[in-house]
Amino acid sequence: MLEPISVSIASLNLATLAPMLILISGGLIILCIDLIAKNLSKQLYVVLSILFLLLDLGAVLGYQGAVRGFFDVMLVDGISILSQAIILFASMLFIPLALTSKRFHEYTFPEYFALFLFMISGFQFMVSSDNLILIFIGLELGSLALYTLIAMHNRDRSFEAAIKYFTMGAMAAGFFVMGALILYALTGTVEIAKMIPVLEARNYDPIVAVLAAVSFLIAALGFKLSQVPFHTWTPDVYEGSSAALAGYMSVVPKIAGFVVAIRIFEFLIHANIVWVQYVLYTIVVITMTLSNIMALVQQDVKRMLAYSSISHAGFVMAAIVIGTTQANSALFLYWVLFLFTNLGAFAMLWVSRHKSKIWHDRFDHPYTKFSGMISIMPFGAVVMGLFMMSLAGVPPFSLFWGKLYLMGAAVNAGFIWLAIIMAINSAISIYYYLKLVVYMFLHDPIENEGTIYVKNASTALKTIIGFSTVVTIFAFLLINPLLEIITAYVKASGF
Amino acid sequence: MDSILTLLIFFPFIAGMFGFMIDQKSIRAYGISVAFIEFALSLVLWFGFDSQNPGFQFIEQFPLIPQYGISYFLGVDGISLFLVILSTFMTLIALIGLTIEKDVKNLIISILFLEMTMVGVFVSLDVIIFYVFWELSLVPMLYIIGAWGAKLRIYAAIKFFLYTFAGSLIMLVGILYMAYLYYQATGVWSFAIPDWQLLVVPFHIQLWLFAAFFIGFAIKVPMFPFHTWLPYAHGQAPTIGSVILAAVLLKMGTYGFVRFSLPMFPDASIYFITPIAVIAIIMVIYTAMIAYAQEDMKQVIAYSSISHMGIIIIGTFAMNAEGITGSIFLMLSHGIVSGALFMLVGNIYDRRHTKLMSEFGGLAKVMPKYATIFGIMLMASVGLPLTIGFVGEFLSLIGFYKVSPTMTFLAGTGIILGAVYMLSLYKKSFFGELTNEKNKNLKDLNKMELASLIPLVLLVAYLGIYPKPVLNPIDNSVKNMIELMEKKSITKEAKELIKKANSIEEAK
Repeated sequence: MLEPISVSIASLNLATLAPMLILISGGLIILCIDLIAKNLSKQLYVVLSILFLLLDLGAVLGYQGAVRGFFDVMLVDGISILSQAIILFASMLFIPLALTSKRFHEYTFPEYFALFLFMISGFQFMVSSDNLILIFIGLELGSLALYTLIAMHNRDRSFEAAIKYFTMGAMAAGFFVMGALILYALTGTVEIAKMIPVLEARNYDPIVAVLAAVSFLIAALGFKLSQVPFHTWTPDVYEGSSAALAGYMSVVPKIAGFVVAIRIFEFLIHANIVWVQYVLYTIVVITMTLSNIMALVQQDVKRMLAYSSISHAGFVMAAIVIGTTQANSALFLYWVLFLFTNLGAFAMLWVSRHKSKIWHDRFDHPYTKFSGMISIMPFGAVVMGLFMMSLAGVPPFSLFWGKLYLMGAAVNAGFIWLAIIMAINSAISIYYYLKLVVYMFLHDPIENEGTIYVKNASTALKTIIGFSTVVTIFAFLLINPLLEIITAYVKASGF
Repeated sequence: MDSILTLLIFFPFIAGMFGFMIDQKSIRAYGISVAFIEFALSLVLWFGFDSQNPGFQFIEQFPLIPQYGISYFLGVDGISLFLVILSTFMTLIALIGLTIEKDVKNLIISILFLEMTMVGVFVSLDVIIFYVFWELSLVPMLYIIGAWGAKLRIYAAIKFFLYTFAGSLIMLVGILYMAYLYYQATGVWSFAIPDWQLLVVPFHIQLWLFAAFFIGFAIKVPMFPFHTWLPYAHGQAPTIGSVILAAVLLKMGTYGFVRFSLPMFPDASIYFITPIAVIAIIMVIYTAMIAYAQEDMKQVIAYSSISHMGIIIIGTFAMNAEGITGSIFLMLSHGIVSGALFMLVGNIYDRRHTKLMSEFGGLAKVMPKYATIFGIMLMASVGLPLTIGFVGEFLSLIGFYKVSPTMTFLAGTGIILGAVYMLSLYKKSFFGELTNEKNKNLKDLNKMELASLIPLVLLVAYLGIYPKPVLNPIDNSVKNMIELMEKKSITKEAKELIKKANSIEEAK
């Protein structure tokens, strides 16, 4: 006779689930509100979302309990808390961007905000587990919600973007499942932590199967992290979605992907399976270089920023190749700084969003649109120029410190050539950022209607941009406290 | 007084921020006043400076990122003191001589930001802070060249930016590696220059690090074959941009050699003397020949700048007190003289809107004052004794003579070639018949232009005759540095060469 299963509630450690539950119930509450009262304004939903996110952030940061929970499926360690904090911060910065002065199709639906909260809870699941099945569920929950959010922008190009992202994402999901399956077949478990001893005991034999599994996982995460050659969806999807969402996509799903990548690949690299390191090394170098070169020839600022965020993702992926504590801390530091700068840059595009395509019949934001912005709207031009300089890594703006610390980590771990390749890539990347600066500052304006750049601006948007600007400029004061916190968390989780 | 260096760096920046509140009409007066206060501050620094003390003075230090050893660390010694004064002085002079009307507010604010970065580069004792200012100086310069330049300005501005940015990123890898070495040796993270100068680096690593830093500095100087951005930048930049570029920004590269390459990698520096001297000689002779072939006055002076920078490099790598002191003095004199020459070309350009020598001729008749000042500056540029140009050139060459007489001779031909192209420029533009109708009614220099040029003329004469007050503090610090280099050097060749270069008997 089967033993009756008795699990005490205390041993489940439900507190590990609390953050995600807050968001899921938040999403449900928003849907219920919509059932009761129609035609409520979007401000209500934005503020409600922010409140739920705040609650969630409090639950994440205040979490003191055991690392494991809920049948050991949840794993709330240092990097999980760090990445959840980054995800929630980015979301709180992103959602007020809905408060535009123009009306947009997607914000009239409360479902948009509910889906948004579901998506975040998905990413939170993804980063707080080392169970491949839960990671997969989190990944899909986040991604499916995201596809819908893109499509809700309600333009031809958005549908195209959503479907493209969906098909590519489905393939990536397939790869992920295949990889997980092979690992399960090899080890009889789906938990990364338990796989390690089994694999080690057998000395990674049969190595072909391990490598096949790793290849599938690299491909799957490569899609999510938009690493070359799995990046082809990125520019089109970014172009099709609203600028604000594109900026969000370049930050949040990726940090979730990075955490999974750290969990999966670090132990393989530390187990001296050099093959994995070589493959990742190659992917990093190709991602940085190729996307930089592609970015050089773009005519549209948004597509340029899409390629630039691919290159940044490649740059940060290097941290996983290096695999030291300093490198992993550098990854998080870089991403925190990147969050503010990149979201700021995309928000600037969002502010200048115009329904009709007056500058170019193909692109929304061709370079020529920004010609002579300095004489039309000096403050906006300076802010945008600042974001560009920061993305390029000009000191003392925020991303310079991330690059410095990451390159320092590379040098300290003996990856001198990788550091040099990173330096050369930064030098290449300055050209396309500079191109926008040159258009804004050095070209004469082609159109003298002063309001074109602020069509969409509202106090909320300006506040977000101002906040990003302040962080970008005064980053040098933030680095030390950030580093202290990040290093402590990363060390605590053993990476 | 203890915080005077912070004041020196950030006063122009804060003044620049406030500059946004000033209207177009009064912005010039505002800019000049700020530059004057800044210059006065730098003079205060000089008076407070103890010229007997060869070490760093006015030190300010507090940790910025203690986790990684980065601190806000400032200080000044004999080597950097006069470069700071040169920066503030030339900014003041350039602002007085400013004639641009279009968007002058943005221009002046950019100049003030640029001044912050220039002073910052010379007084930073933390490598990361140094690097921050070093890179930041590119941004205002990009704007100045790109927005107020001539026809090809955008191309020139981007070329300038890309070249220097790429070079300094390679240097950044070198910086990080050097920090790692320091950490390995001592167990403490530090980016402080005085700390790094005490670290003895293994020879084969020195070679690599020297190369990494060399790329960053050589592009800035600019050394052959990385010099191609300079003629464009100068040719397209507005007068004020050229003045500051030639007077100060180029000196950052040579300052870098003196501050970083020599004391940190003495053996590698000595190992590379010959190839670097060959490059420097190529710079001196080759660019002098190109200068002779130019038709545009400004290009002549731009190429002559590269030629003079060659002599500075030669002096720096002489590895003795005379050579290095001479090269630093030459940085100052070249800053003053080339700045003045660019301003003079700017003056004639404002009148005729051309810089082609073929358009001129016989200018001495209509513009006697202009011709006189141009003549004096030209003599200083050629290195005539009793002008400021002579002192530095002579010391640099005499210093290198102890290392290699043949190469010194070759570099010395640069002075002759310099005389050739400068005098031919003078002949074509100022002497002969006044043939071009348009030149008949040219006005001579006005009061504002004279106010900006006469201080330079006085300096050229005064420091040419009596350079001692400037040479002394430089010499003290340089001797201190050479002593350190000798102590630190690990290879036998290096020790011998430093000894030989610094002893009087060997110079036969």
